[in-house]
Amino acid sequence: MTEKKMIPPNTLLAFGVVGGLAGVYLAYFLAPMNPIFVFFGALGAVCASVWGADVVRRVASYGLGTGVPSIGMLALGMGIIAVLFGLSLGLGPAGPLVAFITSCVIGAIIGIISKKVVGMTIPIMVSATTEIAGAGALLILGLSIVIAGSLDFGVVVTEVITTGFIMMIYIAGGMAMLHPHNSNLGPDETQDRLLALSAEKAGIAVVLSGFASVAGMGAIAVTMLIGLFIWYIFWGKYYGFVKRDAYKVIDVGMLPTEEEMQ
Amino acid sequence: MEPLISMGVLALIGAAATIAGASEDLESDVGSQSNANSQVQLAPQMGYVHRIYNKAIAGEPVSNALMCTIGATGALVLIKHFGFSPLFALVIGSLIAAMVHGSYSVTAIMGREASQARFKQPIYLDLIRSHTPVIMAFAFLTTFSVMIVSYLMVYSLMHPFPFVLLCFLWGVVVGSVGSATGDVHLGAERQFQATEFGAGLNASQSGNIVRKAESGLRNGIDNLWFCSKFGGPMTGVSFGMVVFLGTWILVVFDPAEGNLEGWLSNILGLVIVIVLGIWNWHIEKETREKYGPYKEDKGEEVSA
Amino acid sequence: MIDIVGLIASNLIWILAIVIGGTFISISVHFIPVGGAPAAMAQATGIGTGTVMLAAGAGIAGIIAAGAVMAVNQNIWVVIGAAAVGAAIMLAATMIVATWIYAYGVGVMPVSAKVKYDPITKYRQDLYVSQGTEGHGIPTVAYVSASIGGLLGGLGAGLAYYALMKVSTLPVTNLNLVAVVSTFTIGFFFINSVIPSYNIVGTIEGFHDPKFKKWPKAAIASFLASIPLGILAVVAVASLASVGGL
Repeated sequence: MTEKKMIPPNTLLAFGVVGGLAGVYLAYFLAPMNPIFVFFGALGAVCASVWGADVVRRVASYGLGTGVPSIGMLALGMGIIAVLFGLSLGLGPAGPLVAFITSCVIGAIIGIISKKVVGMTIPIMVSATTEIAGAGALLILGLSIVIAGSLDFGVVVTEVITTGFIMMIYIAGGMAMLHPHNSNLGPDETQDRLLALSAEKAGIAVVLSGFASVAGMGAIAVTMLIGLFIWYIFWGKYYGFVKRDAYKVIDVGMLPTEEEMQ
Repeated sequence: MEPLISMGVLALIGAAATIAGASEDLESDVGSQSNANSQVQLAPQMGYVHRIYNKAIAGEPVSNALMCTIGATGALVLIKHFGFSPLFALVIGSLIAAMVHGSYSVTAIMGREASQARFKQPIYLDLIRSHTPVIMAFAFLTTFSVMIVSYLMVYSLMHPFPFVLLCFLWGVVVGSVGSATGDVHLGAERQFQATEFGAGLNASQSGNIVRKAESGLRNGIDNLWFCSKFGGPMTGVSFGMVVFLGTWILVVFDPAEGNLEGWLSNILGLVIVIVLGIWNWHIEKETREKYGPYKEDKGEEVSA
Repeated sequence: MIDIVGLIASNLIWILAIVIGGTFISISVHFIPVGGAPAAMAQATGIGTGTVMLAAGAGIAGIIAAGAVMAVNQNIWVVIGAAAVGAAIMLAATMIVATWIYAYGVGVMPVSAKVKYDPITKYRQDLYVSQGTEGHGIPTVAYVSASIGGLLGGLGAGLAYYALMKVSTLPVTNLNLVAVVSTFTIGFFFINSVIPSYNIVGTIEGFHDPKFKKWPKAAIASFLASIPLGILAVVAVASLASVGGL
């Protein structure tokens, strides 16, 4: 396949961080006026998910030796702990930023420990765990504000943790980050196809979070519609990329013949 | 709760867990997910282009956790916010989970086979159309059964964890169990049926999966038919044992009644582990005697 | 604003307990015989799943048991014992059925390719390894190793759960507290089972495997990683009591 132009990692990092934080904070400040605005959090989560999926792609290409799901579970695990800590400090608007930075710091610590103590030889290990922890935290913050309507610690605990919806965010968000690499595994993996898939899966997570929201019927309807829209657009893009990249997409057929295989 | 009622609930939970285990394994057999998938993924690279549904959703534990958690989310929202009866809510939640799982499956096979373009692996749309509903049906069953296990644990046996969290946890466990047990029947036996029975997979046979069936070309549903005779039900028994035995020791000796009861339940659990260990050793001894060694001691090799 | 340093100082013993729990989890992963994808093709000894996910499956069964017991009985030894046994039962039930499938479905006997004689049963191993494979099934030494791993992993997870529950002044039956603590424990468990999997890099057969000697590296790594995680968790859980309405 011809080499497509790849989006540089720093662009995606900026997209993820800026998009994620902007989404979370827009939702944070606008939601008290009208709960419908929690959908900005969902958009922030989609940005974070796309960023995270690319980090997974880059780090897994070095050969983690243990399977891609592990790094996704690691990222979201760090994200959950950091987010709960950041929100519990009761710092008001600084809470989400503190949560994000704490998650990045924890990611860096785990990356450094993996390199220095366990002896992993992947060159980008520390930056990868830092980025993926940060992406995980933004994803959790974005979808939590969609479900809970605000990032007040008490509300988040009763509406997101005690109900158990945090695990839905954990797994659906985590899968939006690690499924794209796993499902496009192969020598002809292309970045744009992978990122489109990540956005599509994040769309599904947004629909589910919107469904579970307690911010009122308006927020539920708007967020679910946005999620379905994102899912539909990026599914179309993904299918287009599949048809572009595959050897053949045929309706019914036998295996290729000997001549075709040469 | 009254001990006899607890035993009744426990029996129901055990039955639901058995169904969950069986349907989990069969779902992964149709889509050749998880461990056996590594051979399906390898096959085009070795020149063995195939018509098997190459689905890989990040491993069975994560995939099953995803479907069970989504099902639980849907059900809980319907119960809490929309006032549905749990009977309807669990079914509709499972439906939502099955649909999401279908989406993941379709994107997985398309993505994987598109990334194998250089090995000339085509994407067969009829395969996707015929297999995906089967996969979704098994996902529905798994999700529904796991949700029954969790729902009864939370609302009948008074487990303190949130319902959605418990569904996530049992989803991971059912995936782990299914991956460890039923996948062996697919991976070591059905996928390499052309080689002689009674040996592990020789490394030189890697990638040479069976692609031609009794009549026509082998696909995932053929594999499902075979594994449903042994691998699937065994996985059901395994997960049923995990859920039932793990909870049974807490019902027989309820720790609520005191520390002695708590210790007796722990000891009973250890006894179960030891008994199963003795059974494992017994099978080890029996197979060694019955099947015999592959090689002679003096370095003469008897073909496997 | 809450007094972070004060919270840490008054809960030092529980932070230590969480860190010890994390270290136990990390060590336990090395005991569990993991064959990975090859084991599912009867090409390697051990259970046919990935390291992280099998350890997670066992630990999660332990956490479920710990949660069930702690709601009714707060004796530390009963709770962590229940967690240990829960994890071990999950592994035992999985292994026995896997052995049935290997023995009757595939037609191979449990055998290890890493040692000539099984350390426990003293059975000869190398003659029974099928050609072109690295062993298959779950020989007795692997079963015993897995049981130890399950017990240790459940112990660690149960200890972390118990310690975090005790940090808060809220009663143990408070559902919000249980939800927060169990969420933390799950995240904590996943992190502490990914770190040893990076150490093991693929498959391991148990304590008789040469790779087992690498366990101190993962133990130290988890010890160090669990310290900041434990502090964050304790601060978050301790501040639950001061939030109104929980």
